[in-house]
Amino acid sequence: MSKYLSLLFFSSVLFISCSSDDDTPPVEDSVEVPLTYSFERDGVSTVSFSGQTTRILMAGELVSAMRNFDTATETSLQNMFAHEEGAQDFSDSDLNTSDKSLRSKTAASFDYFSANTAESTAIKETFENYLTAQINEVFPNENTLAEPGVAGQIADGSSTRYVNAQGLEYNQAFAKSLIGALMADQMLNNYLSEEVLNEADNVSNNNNDITEEGKSYTTMEHKWDEAYGYIYGTSVNPANPNETIGEDDKFLNEYTGQVNRDSDFNTIADEIFEAFKLGRAAIVAKNYDVRDAQAAIIRQKISEVIAVRGIYYLQQAKNKIVAGNQTSAFHALSEAYGFVYSLRFTRNNTTGESFFDSVEVNDLINQLLDDNENGFWSLTPETIDSVSESIAAKFDFTVSQAGSVD
Amino acid sequence: MSYWKLVSIVTLLFIAVACSSDNGDAPDQPLNDSFNREAMLMNWADNIIVPAYTSFVSKTTELNAATTVFTETPSEENLIALRTIWVSTYIEFQNVSMFEIGKAEEVNFRNRMNIYPTNANKINDFIAEGTFNFSLPSTIDAQGFPALDYMLNGLAETDSEIVAFYTTNENAANYLEYLNALSETIETLSITLLNDWNENFRDSFVSNTSSSASGSVDKLANDYILYYEKALRAGKIGIPAGVFSNDPLPENVEAFYKKDISKSLAQQALTASQNFFNGIYFNSSQQGESFRTYLTFLNSVKNGEDLSGLINAQFETAKTNIEELNVNFVSQIETDNIQMQNTYDELQRNVIFLKVDMLQALDINVDYVDTDGD
Repeated sequence: MSKYLSLLFFSSVLFISCSSDDDTPPVEDSVEVPLTYSFERDGVSTVSFSGQTTRILMAGELVSAMRNFDTATETSLQNMFAHEEGAQDFSDSDLNTSDKSLRSKTAASFDYFSANTAESTAIKETFENYLTAQINEVFPNENTLAEPGVAGQIADGSSTRYVNAQGLEYNQAFAKSLIGALMADQMLNNYLSEEVLNEADNVSNNNNDITEEGKSYTTMEHKWDEAYGYIYGTSVNPANPNETIGEDDKFLNEYTGQVNRDSDFNTIADEIFEAFKLGRAAIVAKNYDVRDAQAAIIRQKISEVIAVRGIYYLQQAKNKIVAGNQTSAFHALSEAYGFVYSLRFTRNNTTGESFFDSVEVNDLINQLLDDNENGFWSLTPETIDSVSESIAAKFDFTVSQAGSVD
Repeated sequence: MSYWKLVSIVTLLFIAVACSSDNGDAPDQPLNDSFNREAMLMNWADNIIVPAYTSFVSKTTELNAATTVFTETPSEENLIALRTIWVSTYIEFQNVSMFEIGKAEEVNFRNRMNIYPTNANKINDFIAEGTFNFSLPSTIDAQGFPALDYMLNGLAETDSEIVAFYTTNENAANYLEYLNALSETIETLSITLLNDWNENFRDSFVSNTSSSASGSVDKLANDYILYYEKALRAGKIGIPAGVFSNDPLPENVEAFYKKDISKSLAQQALTASQNFFNGIYFNSSQQGESFRTYLTFLNSVKNGEDLSGLINAQFETAKTNIEELNVNFVSQIETDNIQMQNTYDELQRNVIFLKVDMLQALDINVDYVDTDGD
């Protein structure tokens, strides 16, 4: 299985390399691949992912509201998380009129959570608890210097960070955990799921170009686009999003771009985009084997983005601790904490399940925070290395490759 | 060329790229050289760092005393005297700002002394409320030399109007208290650093000769280059010249309210940086072991030229550039910003020599990265 996948992967890379030299559209198994993510039916675009764009923007507002000491309340933050249509929760009025919410799609994929309500609920509560704790633990200590066991401020270069009694920044934990629990989970385990893509009459409708009522797209096309929207939904040019990859949000787009800056991973943004493009073209061509092979590439590569970035922050934090400055590591550790949590939502094509189940993920995050007296204040370089190695062991890259950008 | 030939070449290229990046990540071998690192650390500590701190601390004591004189008797005469000592202390600070190691790193010394632009609104709020805590990281832009700049030069146009803030203003008592707290904090923090060097840190610093990320040479080399790159090249020249923004930012000039000392501050910082590279004793022309002698010992060359010679020549070029700038960088930016940007470029050339070539030669890893801004 994995040999077959890597063959497919190589052949698609080769196609990319050759396509730029060639004026005729590249063809793979009779799938015509356009140069950009642009698909039309009868001259009308069939691409749509406005719901994903909305949720990325909601998440951006919520994460920055977690540091609005003068205005944010427990209620205002919880309302932003579980937005209801028409409620004035956001500064952007388009978000207020939307019927979308972050909470309803958190840990809510078909493959992982449709029959796993208890875990889904527990994960949603974790996010809600970050919001509550930010208000109840961190806000009262806005003007307190943090120390072991005491929430408050720490200096991070010329920035000021606000941490809980264990040294964790709830806003970072929230944001980076959401990359897994919302963006990656919806993408990898819901919209790219065979069960979702092929649900009900999706295949026969797609085969017969039967579009959704009043829409230009078939349901299957739309599902694929919704996966696409969770990484490129706020791109400047969504049809050719790698022009600005890394700069379009503070979530999956940003960190795909960051990982791609490392020479060890500098094809990953292209591989993800090309797989999205080819897979979407395959749906148009009704070639579902090619479609599923591209879904597998995306699942692997998005999982790698999360794992690489988690290890990167862990190692950056370790370097600061080794250099003798424990608190200056807290910001990177808080980001790492969220990325490690996000590993729960990755997807291993060999098993069809996460690279790390909830027990493994909880063990890793406990090693970082809860197993130590006073959390990050007493976290050691040895533990950080051990967690980093546990993550890298599931992938084909090393801790040292992921640990620095060069 | 046939299609398949092209494919196989592309494949080979792809594999070659993949392989070379793997090789590039092989763990570095520790530098096995016989250079006397301890002698260099001793020269740094005993002939440069501790004497520079000692001299700086005595200036901060003068500054605090002059502040007391002014706050006891707020007059134009005392304001002018205080301002003069503030200038000379600020210039002396440029000699120690690069040594952000040990206690200095722990207390976030450079940020507490010299974050600019200072936040005038925050200062006004603190004065109005009468409560503030300079040990909080969120107050770094309301303390240090730039905050004093605002308090001594920026409250009003004329000296008599400035003095009025400390005499007839309804919040005069709070202005006086804030001014005292600024100078006191500068002195107290500086004494803490000097005492730590004298009582504990000097010995552990000198004996920590290991060639590793936690060794003194690696750490101070990183602190030194970070200072040169971020605080000197970017902070004093590049950011106000608009190198990192759409437009120039004259309000980001160091000593923005005093204005006519921005060039002196930059010149002193550059001289101190070059002197440290060459191991020149504080306030003396004598030299000891240094980055320069270390590079010479290793016969480090770049493109056939002696690396330490290249670095010194580049320091001289940058100095010549700064020399030609207006004493007031705000005027320089407004009249001829190209000269500011040229100066930035010359400073940047030494970032490459120091951060890439020198650190490679000394087998030191860079321990800082640009943050991703969130």
